[in-house]
Amino acid sequence: SSHKHKLNFKKSKEVCLSYIQDAMLQKQWKRAAEFMTFYAESLEKDFSTAYMGPSEMIWRIGTEILCYHSHSSMKQFNSFMEQMKTLGVKRYLKVCLEHAFHLLCNGLIDEAYQTLSLAESWRFGEQTAIQDKEMKLIQAYRGLLDYYSWSKQKNILLEHGQDGFEDLSVEQEMHSCFRKAAVNLKEIIKVPGVWDVFVKCYVDLLEFYGDHEEACQVLKEYAYNSKFPSNPNAHVYLYQFLKRHGESKKSLISALKILHDIVPSHELMIDFNTMLQKSKKRKKRRLGLEVIFAALDYAGWKENVKAWSCLARQVKQIVTSEKHLDWIKQEWNSRRDWWPAFHFSRYLAKRNWQENESLSYEKALVAGIVLGKDCKYFKYVSHQGCKAQVKRFQILKKFVNKHSPVYLRISG
Amino acid sequence: QTEATFVPRRGGTGESWEPADAAAVPFLPPNASCWIPSLMPEDVLYRGVLRRKLQAGKSGAALDFTKQLGNFFVDHPEDAFGSLGQLLHKNFYLGNSKLRREARDSTIRMTALREEIDRLEARRGCPRKHLAPRLRWFSHLCRDWLFEVPLGPLADCVHEELLLQWAGLLFDDSPTGGALAWLPPKDMGARLGRLVYPGGQAMNHLYFHDVVLEELPRTRGSPAQFELNGRIRQVAAARVDGEDFVGVRSDYHCGVWRVPGRTGAAPTPLQVIRTSMPASCLTVSPHLPGELSVCTHSGAVCLWNVETGLQRLRHDPQTMFFRDHSPWRWSDFTAHPRVLSCADRTGLQCLDARAPERCHFDLFKVGEEAGCQQGERVVLPMYLGRAHPSQHLVTTQFSLYVLDERLPLVPMLKWAHMMKAPPLFAHLMPGGPGRTHKVLLGASHTQELLLLQYRVFTNQFLTCPSTGGSRSACQLVGPPQKLHSIASCLQHLPVQLPHRHHLLQQRLGTPAAGLAAALQEDGPQESLLVFQLSEAGDVFCQRLTHKAAQPPMPTAEDEAAPQPSPAVPSPATALRYRRWLKALSKGCGEPPQPARPPTLSQKRLFTRKELALPADPSTLHGQARQQLRQTMWEGGCIQRWAPLASQPCTPLPPVEPVGELDPLSARLTAAWSADWGQWWEERTSFNMAQRQQALRERRRRQKRARGRRSLSASFTSSLTYQSELSELSDTAPTPLSPGPPPVLPREGSPPRSSPPASPPPPDEALLSSQSLRCRGVPQERRKTLRDYLALWAEDPPEPPEPPGS
Repeated sequence: SSHKHKLNFKKSKEVCLSYIQDAMLQKQWKRAAEFMTFYAESLEKDFSTAYMGPSEMIWRIGTEILCYHSHSSMKQFNSFMEQMKTLGVKRYLKVCLEHAFHLLCNGLIDEAYQTLSLAESWRFGEQTAIQDKEMKLIQAYRGLLDYYSWSKQKNILLEHGQDGFEDLSVEQEMHSCFRKAAVNLKEIIKVPGVWDVFVKCYVDLLEFYGDHEEACQVLKEYAYNSKFPSNPNAHVYLYQFLKRHGESKKSLISALKILHDIVPSHELMIDFNTMLQKSKKRKKRRLGLEVIFAALDYAGWKENVKAWSCLARQVKQIVTSEKHLDWIKQEWNSRRDWWPAFHFSRYLAKRNWQENESLSYEKALVAGIVLGKDCKYFKYVSHQGCKAQVKRFQILKKFVNKHSPVYLRISG
Repeated sequence: QTEATFVPRRGGTGESWEPADAAAVPFLPPNASCWIPSLMPEDVLYRGVLRRKLQAGKSGAALDFTKQLGNFFVDHPEDAFGSLGQLLHKNFYLGNSKLRREARDSTIRMTALREEIDRLEARRGCPRKHLAPRLRWFSHLCRDWLFEVPLGPLADCVHEELLLQWAGLLFDDSPTGGALAWLPPKDMGARLGRLVYPGGQAMNHLYFHDVVLEELPRTRGSPAQFELNGRIRQVAAARVDGEDFVGVRSDYHCGVWRVPGRTGAAPTPLQVIRTSMPASCLTVSPHLPGELSVCTHSGAVCLWNVETGLQRLRHDPQTMFFRDHSPWRWSDFTAHPRVLSCADRTGLQCLDARAPERCHFDLFKVGEEAGCQQGERVVLPMYLGRAHPSQHLVTTQFSLYVLDERLPLVPMLKWAHMMKAPPLFAHLMPGGPGRTHKVLLGASHTQELLLLQYRVFTNQFLTCPSTGGSRSACQLVGPPQKLHSIASCLQHLPVQLPHRHHLLQQRLGTPAAGLAAALQEDGPQESLLVFQLSEAGDVFCQRLTHKAAQPPMPTAEDEAAPQPSPAVPSPATALRYRRWLKALSKGCGEPPQPARPPTLSQKRLFTRKELALPADPSTLHGQARQQLRQTMWEGGCIQRWAPLASQPCTPLPPVEPVGELDPLSARLTAAWSADWGQWWEERTSFNMAQRQQALRERRRRQKRARGRRSLSASFTSSLTYQSELSELSDTAPTPLSPGPPPVLPREGSPPRSSPPASPPPPDEALLSSQSLRCRGVPQERRKTLRDYLALWAEDPPEPPEPPGS
């Protein structure tokens, strides 16, 4: 009969859990909380080896209920969290981290700092790999908070410094914050992962103290280390850093080139294209055309006037100079089977003309060159433009008509 | 700039969408034609002792193989025994009589064997059943030659099919994506959209139906209908350049329709492809008109363009990241019109259609990067392009992930959905600037439906380190919300008879087969219409209304904020339920319910004299009358007339049988002493003399028993009588049938003071055989009836006393 009892207990546990879930999904937090008090009994016989045992359930569901329950207070939340921390040794650090996040999201920075420091001093037996990682995270977050207090004090000092007044104790405190932050931040960014916030803060610290070499090294490591996930942000940070420090065009271009290879649809591609177009080297101008064509392949760029004007400008330049028409031809070749439907349909001509005249102008120019003057898009837009007697459309029509042989060379 | 703001990855208060009704409402009439209940686990699993025995050893399910194989012989006897049966039928004798001597040499009598088999059938489930020796002998004798189908291959086929069916019961991925699509109105603010859904007995008809969005959405006109060659598994739709392209997947065929932009324009079929292996996925490109992607169980991923045809991007029966047995493949579009995402149970990859071998990258991997659990598998990927051009949704049986293809492998968002069945359907409703994007997740077998809201941030960083950094991270806003399932409307339907209730429960509980949603803007009032399709082909809908964010009240107002949905359906909804039920019972060939309960004319039971008020009515009499009236006024059933609860049970006056009994009193007295049935038999028996004799006997008995009769005895017997009668009355008797007509159970004694009985002369017209015929009395019973009715006319008040009494 003990077996039967156990089965029933298991069953009622499951039923209770489903009630809680049901109540939560219907936003009946009070009801969920009441069932939750019953569910706490399931801890009594928690021998489960399941992925998520009752104690973890109670922690997660309880947190969720306390977040939305109308009568819950921060005090209650804190005491619940303290109870949860003692419930499972393996989960202690995780609970601490989540607790700190909750405090941070509610603007309780000092309390969060305290929680993190407490967690950091916690020791229990031998550390597992997971605990090691969690400990690193806790330290990193404490470092992040140190960074924030550092930057607060920095701002105070800068303001006071303008008055010609120096406060030694503030300055000392600021430096100690720097040291604490730097140590912890440095540790976490050695571990492969996505650490955008930490990297940014660490670089800011280093830059303030003039350690550009180290900062650059950190950013390069973060961007180029193959153990880290491919992260476009890392390249953006590097590019921004190089730009801030007035690095050469060449290094800027090489940073953006890699970004282009990873994410051809990145917003910085417009900057990249303008940079390349200005270049005197043929190869770079060629790359510029490639970059802007590739960016316009993406659905998110379909109505980006800036990008279209970049492309239109470069196409116009190539056509008027009549040099490197093969560049356009090459780019167009891989797109001729789908760009007409994707960018230059009659429906889009109508809509672009109604919604964004300058977009339709730029697109019509490109369409007129690559598809000829008889293409639907160009025909519709130039007709409407001439009908509305907009000067630039009349010039556009003349331009495309004049260069109609170009179309034959591109399409041929 | 250093002012730190922390935003949780999950939390905050989302938009408030409250259900407008108590349950889902039928949107279309029930899918026509008789519906076959879907397979249940009981149909293929062993039951009873054997199951327990089989399961004691191992944990797996025990499939009832022998029963299924046996079903073949029962269902297809012609195929199994056809020619041998013909050969042998002269030598097998199935009759009851003895065999003639000359036939005995060449014929066997099989009757006994048949009886044994019948008896075996009756003892089914009995743990102590043993095969009769005769059966054992027969099966030994005929095992090798009686049936013509080779048993080995047949058994293999049955076994394979059984395993397939069982796997389908455990998890059926064929409806992934859902077979319901909503084509929104052509311009914002218009109210005429279109619903695309499958229907028909085999779910092989495709319908395009105009829908007017109103308080309760309704269909307009008749739908455009196409008959297809197989069950429709999935309907996918996307709008490109103002035109809708609808892809339809069945097991071996995929088709694409175009619905032009003009309102009321007819949909045109464009192209159909046939696949040699079942297709598992069909998605429509949101970028290019007439472009779709198809996957099949052979591991092929194809880009299908209506103009240029099929282009195979990949053909790999192996899964991508680790070995998994499932042949399921999925593919969807990405931000780049030439790059397709391609999924199996282990993860997602992105392929460039221009160079699929060289250019690909991993988008999602079931594994440590995403923090997956053991056994976690991809269930449904979806491109979220309408909300953010580079984001994808991936659901597994445990969690939901939002991924950005620019930062692959690291999920932007992860949430454990805790649904009981894996979500097979998803629908995205992008929100405008400043609004949240809404995602609906639906499961098939449990009909679960969840509404989630998420927001995409730019230039914000999140507190959780594993999210994608400062660009385009997203946040799950507010708690997820459960919507009504189709089955939840059962409790709001009118009360049904138990077997009909059961059928209805089965029908409404069939697994879901699709999900669609429409956003309706009515000035400031926004509402969300969620359509649900069941595997039986029924379409239900529910409405959620948006409560615009009000300034937060400082008081405890928020306690009232989570308004429960209305408990009772509105009258309009109730009307829809009733109509739907009516159409369902009509469509499924059930006999229509009689408009009124069968009534019994009281003329046939009592004469007017008998019913006339006595000169001095007792209080009991008055009460009885009043209750009778009330019951009649309520339209209740007289037989089930229970004593009023408030009224204490008054002790009954003792019965004092009168010497001379008129027929009515005799009947009532008989009823009182619980042998009314016998009285009836006697009354209707053919032999009048016998009857009279019996009457005399009975009277004698009664006379003898007169002294013994006490109140308590009569009281208990009256109680049992009443309960017997109420059981009896469940089968409504028709008037004038020879069965016992129902009688009013009384509260008091028979009216003693009623005038001496003089039974009415039977109506002559009533007795004519013509009138009996037109009342549906069968010919052989007419005489009985006439005899019976004649009794009333005879008026035998005093049968002659037998001598010697």
